[in-house]
Amino acid sequence: MELGCGAQRSVRSLMVEREATVVPEEGLHARPAARFVGTAKQFVSDIVVIKDGKEANAKSPLKLMTLGAKKGDRVVIRAEGEDAEEAVEALVEIVTSEEP
Amino acid sequence: MKLSGVAASEGVAVGPAYVYAPRGPRPAGNVPEGAVEEEISRFRRAVEAVRERLSETAARLREAGSGEEAAIFEAHAEIAGDPELAAEVERRVREGREGAGAAVLAVGEEYARTFAAMDDEYMAARADDVRDVAAQIATELVGGPSSGIEGLDRPSVILARNLLPSDTARLPREKVLGFVTAEGSRTSHVAIMARSLGIPAVVGVGEELEKAFGASVVALDGGEGYAVADPDPGTLELFERRRQRSDAEAALLKEYRHIEGRTRDGRRIEVSANLGSPEEAEEALSWGAEGVGLFRTEFLFMERDELPSEEEQYAAYRRVVEVFGERPVIVRTLDVGGDKDLPGIDRPAEENPFLGWRGIRMSLDLPDLFRTQLRAVLRAAAHGNLKVMFPMVTGVEEVRAAREHLEECRRELEEEGTPCGPLEAGVMIETPAAAILAGELAREVSFFSIGTNDLIQYTLAADRGNERLRRLYRADHPAVLELIRHTCEAAREAGIWVGACGEAAGDPGMIPYLVRLGVTELSMSPPSIPRAKKILSEL
Repeated sequence: MELGCGAQRSVRSLMVEREATVVPEEGLHARPAARFVGTAKQFVSDIVVIKDGKEANAKSPLKLMTLGAKKGDRVVIRAEGEDAEEAVEALVEIVTSEEP
Repeated sequence: MKLSGVAASEGVAVGPAYVYAPRGPRPAGNVPEGAVEEEISRFRRAVEAVRERLSETAARLREAGSGEEAAIFEAHAEIAGDPELAAEVERRVREGREGAGAAVLAVGEEYARTFAAMDDEYMAARADDVRDVAAQIATELVGGPSSGIEGLDRPSVILARNLLPSDTARLPREKVLGFVTAEGSRTSHVAIMARSLGIPAVVGVGEELEKAFGASVVALDGGEGYAVADPDPGTLELFERRRQRSDAEAALLKEYRHIEGRTRDGRRIEVSANLGSPEEAEEALSWGAEGVGLFRTEFLFMERDELPSEEEQYAAYRRVVEVFGERPVIVRTLDVGGDKDLPGIDRPAEENPFLGWRGIRMSLDLPDLFRTQLRAVLRAAAHGNLKVMFPMVTGVEEVRAAREHLEECRRELEEEGTPCGPLEAGVMIETPAAAILAGELAREVSFFSIGTNDLIQYTLAADRGNERLRRLYRADHPAVLELIRHTCEAAREAGIWVGACGEAAGDPGMIPYLVRLGVTELSMSPPSIPRAKKILSEL
């Protein structure tokens, strides 16, 4: 499976990016993943999660799981679009909160 | 030929081999250039149909109270609608001119392999999920599901590369003697299902299985974890003897299934079932359950995004009391340890969840949650013989507070004109404090139920899951027996009855102790019921 390598994108509108440490015990699997994807889908921005140079569409549960992000891993959440700011904020909140 | 694998579900089976291979979609040739867009829209319609079917199944299960199973189908629906899955399939159709069916199987397989290689049991199980969903989309593309069971006309041992949830749902149970699969582990779907249905299974035998596809007879021992294809006469005889022995025991116990629980000297002991969800009710009755001594309600609260409504809880409780009719059903109010999550409830991680914010402690702190549950229980009580009990009690104040909520809920319902039924309340005796204070507690409630698992671990300060403490963690430890004796005596003086619902209640070695001490109801996992009745009849 091809996984993009975080190439530079042309900035159409706002691009927001933040790094965070995965807090939930289950990592970005199971319920935290379901909630993460569900939240990502509420935004129109293109959103990706980057771990160790591997990039995954935040609206795709399958891609997200291929990252294998575990508790304690550092991930970058990057969003591009009109609601990028809110999207990144909401998703960082999920990744960094104990309660999935 | 011997096939070694994982012992997934106990029991011995010998029978004709049946290779289960659901007919895959015909590999359509390349898509001609002019038909690419049509192929893609066919694919999108198939995805939509599968996603919708999965969501409907999930909703139906959710409504029936099986939240855990519903979560599986919800996850499958999510996978079916995954935008990246669609993008990759469409790219293959556009650029490689692949048929959509072949493309979705190939993409699904790539994900499955990635997950399987992640060396994580949870992710390995997701491999099966994505294969299952991809196969459903591919099948939809060739015009509806094919069963792969057309030739299954007599009871057989099922051989399969792997069995997905949608496969096992299709297999007629009475024609399945056992399962042997190439893939899988003790925690894979087929293993869990085989154990719950009591069907012997050996899984994870690997590529060797294909060599057995031509066999006419297969013998398997699910307790030892191996199967033999086309066994020689000596092996066949050995398996026959084992099978007869396990069948004979099952047949003997069968005679005890539906007798009344009673000791040889005539004391009536009710033998009941522990239930974890409403679906288990009919099965429990068929094992001879004379009631439900512990109906756990956690299933309603787990693996979901919002708390269950009063209606949903009412439907789940009502379903069980209706199955059991006149027989008593005891609902335990919510008892979730700090190691599990509850939707919408903020709970900081606890260092020691077993000594933490759980059971009645949490319920009293969250009156909205508690009262929603109590209202649902009161309403369900109008349909049968329902009782309620409170977990993790340590003192009289907790019981009084809980009963106050109960009475207020009853008044509310009566004022609203909503029907509710009589409801006896009881207390679980699972902390040493409750056992010591049994005399005072007995004046507040109608019955006790000894939760032996927790009572043992709290009394002996020994974690049930700690292998090194195995010798210490004993139901027949004198300190535990003394607390049970004291509880029974206090109950006798107050004129209330005592049940037991931990593992000890179904343990052949412990039943005589419990009955001698004065326990008159034993609640256990349903398959243990016939043996418990037999042991009682010999006391």
